[in-house]
Amino acid sequence: MNVPGSGITHPLLAPLGGPTPPLPPDLTPEERTAVLTQLRWTKYTQMGMESCAFKTFASGGIGFMLGGFFSLMSASMQYEDPIMRANSAAGKAISGGAKTIEVLKETGRNMYRSGKGFGKVGALYAGTECVLESYRAKNDMTNAVAAGFISGAILAAGSGPKAAFGGGLAFAAFSAAIDSFMRRETAEED
Amino acid sequence: MSSQNIEVAVAELDMITDVFNRIVSSCHSKCINPRYSEADLNKGESVCVDRCVAKFFEVNKKVGERMQSMGGAGAGGAGGGGSPFGM
Repeated sequence: MNVPGSGITHPLLAPLGGPTPPLPPDLTPEERTAVLTQLRWTKYTQMGMESCAFKTFASGGIGFMLGGFFSLMSASMQYEDPIMRANSAAGKAISGGAKTIEVLKETGRNMYRSGKGFGKVGALYAGTECVLESYRAKNDMTNAVAAGFISGAILAAGSGPKAAFGGGLAFAAFSAAIDSFMRRETAEED
Repeated sequence: MSSQNIEVAVAELDMITDVFNRIVSSCHSKCINPRYSEADLNKGESVCVDRCVAKFFEVNKKVGERMQSMGGAGAGGAGGGGSPFGM
């Protein structure tokens, strides 16, 4: 298609300017390639951040950190029961220094375990919701509810079908509550 | 450049602009939720717009093939707009 350059490139008009975006005329060829490369990388980065894989990964990471943080905050309450305290690894250690090391190691192990749990939940939910939204090409609440049900069912799958169904329902209800709060009509900000 | 070439170029420009405006209007009304809660497109909306544009061109191509097989003197060319689309 040979249309002589229309000379007017405007975001709201049909894109007749050609494959590259309009750049200011006073650029050397090296600068042109540099600017175009930078624009391309910006586009790829944005596409990557909106992809389902990245969202799953990021949600899992945030879940992991959140789980670790909650576990850290509740670590001091691990040792309230004196009998359990005596029977734990910290209780069996000899010196004060060894006890400290055992307490810290136990805290680290609990943080990792809790983080893994939260990370699994986050990654599963975010991934399922993103895949559902990509498939349906619609953005509404049924994505969140369905993703909650599937995540809850998968997480509780080890305890049998009734537990999985109940877990799915609970997570779906929780997800629906959170999503309806996020989608509520806020007051006009004039 | 003869005036006839210029006229052909202008006509082609008008045609392309017309198709572009139809696509934008059609895909916007089909894909974008009337409640504007934010400026950026959601994942669902951007996926919908991608599919809408692709479908538009597919329909265009199919209708063009049918018209050619009917032996019609195709008034629109490969990129033409016109009444068969209805929108």
